[in-house]
Order: sequence, then structure tokens, then C-alpha cells
Amino acid sequence: MEKPLIGRVGMAVLVVMSMLFAASNLAAQFQPPGTLGVLAPDNIAKPRPKAPFDLTGTWLHMSGESERFDPPAGFKLTPQAQKHYDAAAAATKEGKVYRNDIGLCWPAGVPIMMTRVWPIQMIQLPTSIFMISELMNSLRIVYTDGRGHTDPDIVVRSFNGESIGHWEGDTLVIDTTNFRDDHHWIQDRAGIPASDALHVVERIRMQNQGKRLEIEFTLTDPKSWVGDWKLTKHWDRVDTRDIAEVECLPDLNEHMPSVHSPDNIR
Amino acid sequence: MKVLRFGSILIIALSFVVSAYAHHNAAGVDQSKTVTLEGTVKEFKWANPHSYLEIEVQNSKGVAEIWNLEMMPPLYLVNAGWKSNTVKFGDKVKFTARPMKNGDPGGLFVSITLADGKTLGQTAPRGGAAPAPPVYKP
Repeated sequence: MEKPLIGRVGMAVLVVMSMLFAASNLAAQFQPPGTLGVLAPDNIAKPRPKAPFDLTGTWLHMSGESERFDPPAGFKLTPQAQKHYDAAAAATKEGKVYRNDIGLCWPAGVPIMMTRVWPIQMIQLPTSIFMISELMNSLRIVYTDGRGHTDPDIVVRSFNGESIGHWEGDTLVIDTTNFRDDHHWIQDRAGIPASDALHVVERIRMQNQGKRLEIEFTLTDPKSWVGDWKLTKHWDRVDTRDIAEVECLPDLNEHMPSVHSPDNIR
Repeated sequence: MKVLRFGSILIIALSFVVSAYAHHNAAGVDQSKTVTLEGTVKEFKWANPHSYLEIEVQNSKGVAEIWNLEMMPPLYLVNAGWKSNTVKFGDKVKFTARPMKNGDPGGLFVSITLADGKTLGQTAPRGGAAPAPPVYKP
């Protein structure tokens, strides 16, 4: 039986609409329609002031400096963060470990992703900086092409958040928001969680003729703690290292006795 | 209150003591002890972010049990003289490990002594000073 013409036209319109919708969903970063991506040659070629330094290289968090983002003296947590902190303190007292999420293959996320003992390779373009940590090949893209943050109502929240960078004199300032909360920690050993209200501002300077990076972090998270936490950390350029594929695989983790020890408090 | 706060900071400070280079902590491992045992290699996995060894050991009751040993990444092992084929299934070896506190067979790998008497550990590549791996010659 022949379908009525209006039905066939309606079906065709539906198919085309759904294809257009699917295509628009392929964009991981929500940008206004027609906005150039950071790797678009026309975006890279746009006239911009010359960057004061180039992060391109392999960086390793400085030996001897704590890899952890510890709270300042006299810190005050919110009640919901305090519950985790107390549980972690109780676990530590018993020689146990609270919520070993990174060991269970959850991404470390920003800021912890920056201070693993695994190197980070950075590639700087006029529009963006790609940072790839060797550990779990975690990717962080810093957008420096002038865009702003994505509308928080449509953004897909992530462990590394959304990083927008700009230059202030000899300093690169990166503003990162739009984090996800669950399984994301500021200080994982101490049980201090990051929430979806986490806001990280990094002021990055190059030192020692381009051989050392200094990052001054300002961390705020009104759902987890009161006020600003400021920490400064350093990275050394390591020209003798490259990075490889490093995935946290379930079958490999099964062979790690410490991951499956009953001393892990989930 | 001050004492409490100091206690909290002390707990955080103590938490650094666990191995910094692993991607996870050493939960359940008795870091103060080492054990040295003899056994037969069942499996050796050369992998990132951790390699591992499985070694069959006759326990004190004469029952075979598998010791699961967590190791550092291959870069650490290469620095200490390892290759991916340094040990294979069936090799008789002696090994030293930091054992699990609850007595389960397994723990963190410390070193191995091969049948030819050679002993190998694992060495951190800290600071980027790692020597380049030897060039492969077929």
C-alpha cells in the first residue's frame, strides 16, 4: 500500500533532522556554530601577539617537591568534605587507605594530574596548549584562542575540567572550571574531595632559561572548603624522556595485590 | 583544637611515606618487612604502569601457592638491567618482596635472584637521567 505523500515527506524530514542532530553531537567542545577549532589553520594563522614563552617540551614534576595539593594551615572544610576527611584520617590511623580511586583507574584529574611522577608532554600552538600526561595518557587542552568557558548548563563536566588560558605580561594564566565531582580529589590520600564547584587558576612562569616551570595554583571550591588555597609547584624540562601508551587496565590491576587488599576502604 | 589540627597535618604528612612512584598506594603491604622465598615463575608481565610477576612457592605446609608481586614500570626495570625476557615460565628463582600484612601470598617486588646467581632490582629514572635503552639488534 502506497504511503501518503505527507507521511513520506515527514519521514524524510525526520531522517535529515536526526542526521543533523547526530552530526552536531560529534562536537565534544560546545562552540558557537561556525567557530573555528584550535587546530583549524585559519585559527592558527590569525594575528596574535607573540607568546612570551613556549611550553612545548617534556616536563617532570620537580624531584623533592610534594606531589600532593595539601591544604594550608588552619584550613576549614565544609561538612560534606569533612566527612571524607575524617574517614580518611580514621583509615590512615588504622594503617588503611581511603578511596583509592586513582589506583582503581579513575583519572587523577586537574590538579593532581599535573604532579604525577610520570612526565607530561606539552605542545604549544598559537590557539591552544595540549598537555598529555604519560600516566593514563590523560589529555588536557588549554584554549588560548580567545574563547570563553562553555555554558555550564550544557558543558560535559570532566576530571581535567575546561581550561581557558590568556597571557598577562610574562605569565600564562589558566582558568579551569566545569569539573566533575564524584571520584575526583584535591588531596586523595587525605580524603579531600573536589566538587563540581572547583575553580583552579594557574599562573605559569618560565624560569632558568626555559628549563623550569613554576605554577602558582589558586584553588577554590565552596562546596569543599572555605576560602582560597594557594600552592606553588615546579617542573623540570627533561629532554631525554618521551611518553608511551600507559593505560590503567582491569586485567593488569587484578594482579596488583595492594589494589585488592582489604586495607582499601571504599 | 591545636593538637587536633597538628594531628591532622601529621596524618597527611605520614601519608607521603607510601611509595610516590606508583599510580596507587601500597594498601595492605607491610612496608617494614621483607621476605625472601624460592619458587618457580608462572608469569611475568612487562607492562605500564606496573609490571608483575607470579611465582609458585611451596608454603610451610608443602602446599603450592602463587605469590603475586607488584613491580614498577619497565623503565625502572630496564634501568636495573632487566629485559622483557629476563625471566620466563618455569624458571627457578629466589625473590625478595614486601609482604601483605594479612598473610596473603603476594606483595611489592624488591629483587630477584636468577638461576645463574644474578640479582636484579628496580631503579627509578628520576630527574630524566635515565640512560637510553640499548639499541635493539636482531
